[in-house]
Amino acid sequence: MSLSTTPDREHDGKSRRSRRPEAVVLFWVANQMFAIAAGAVQEIRSTDSLAGAANEIEHSALPKVRHTLEWGRRTCYVVNAGMHFGLPITRPSLVLILRQMRAAVLVDRIDRMTEIAAVYPLPHAFTGEERHWYRGLAYVDDSVIPVVQPAGFLTAEEFAQLDCTAGGGGSQREMHGVVQA
Amino acid sequence: MIAAETASQSSFVLLQIGARRFALPAGMVAELAPPVKLHTFPHTSPSIAGVIVRRRRIVPVYDAGPLLVGKSSSGQQFYLIARRDFGGAGELGAILVSGECEMATGEMRPESDRPAYVAGTLTVGEESLDVLDLEALLASAARASEPASAEAQS
Repeated sequence: MSLSTTPDREHDGKSRRSRRPEAVVLFWVANQMFAIAAGAVQEIRSTDSLAGAANEIEHSALPKVRHTLEWGRRTCYVVNAGMHFGLPITRPSLVLILRQMRAAVLVDRIDRMTEIAAVYPLPHAFTGEERHWYRGLAYVDDSVIPVVQPAGFLTAEEFAQLDCTAGGGGSQREMHGVVQA
Repeated sequence: MIAAETASQSSFVLLQIGARRFALPAGMVAELAPPVKLHTFPHTSPSIAGVIVRRRRIVPVYDAGPLLVGKSSSGQQFYLIARRDFGGAGELGAILVSGECEMATGEMRPESDRPAYVAGTLTVGEESLDVLDLEALLASAARASEPASAEAQS
């Protein structure tokens, strides 16, 4: 028996990947690089520049969310990406304000904006929370990095919990973490 | 790989995890890969060490060491790539192994009083090796690490 395999269509991920090149923002949290679709990010600001717009949630139901951010005509929940992904604690210096979401994300630093050729589906072997966290995986330089799912930072249940704690109201659409464009 | 025996019986790949050797039915083995870069990122799936890229495919890597020998695999690592089935969807998966593998032919002797992930035993020379049931092994590993599954790898 040969132990060297030949290309096997059954296992070939090519047919399942998203083939369209896509612009992404690469960012770092605790020495881990992630990608997020550039179109999902409305603004990137330093934490210092947002001090006046942020409010602390006194008894947050979620440790990863400690602040709200008044942004435009909406209130965003600020998610600490390190805590969200279970990474070591860092001092994030930037906030990614997500487009059409009531969420913003604290990250350590931006690497660059680039284009990825494809997003490959997460292998079936991954069965945990990462299936909600990531859209898939991508090759960047010589590395495989996760492409985050913007809607995965806060679930509908987590938005509901936060809305109770923070006293936030909002429309039914907002309750599911999405605001009108 | 070294052909340890030749006969018209079933073929097995002999692999080393930690200080122990095990056998896996050869039919499910696709390739033994050299120590390539292991890519890691946060996740909560038990027994997964990361992914490798092999023949332009992203292949998840399982660490069976904690269940089989009581500690994570370390040192010079090779990857034994096997075929898995997820409800009709085929997928390759790699197991961390500690060194070169061998092939042997022989007859597996079923064992009823062993863990579910041991399908039987195979005698190779003077040595009696556990033949692994990969699906049962990964299911057992997942159950064993459930309380600590909040791990995040980076």
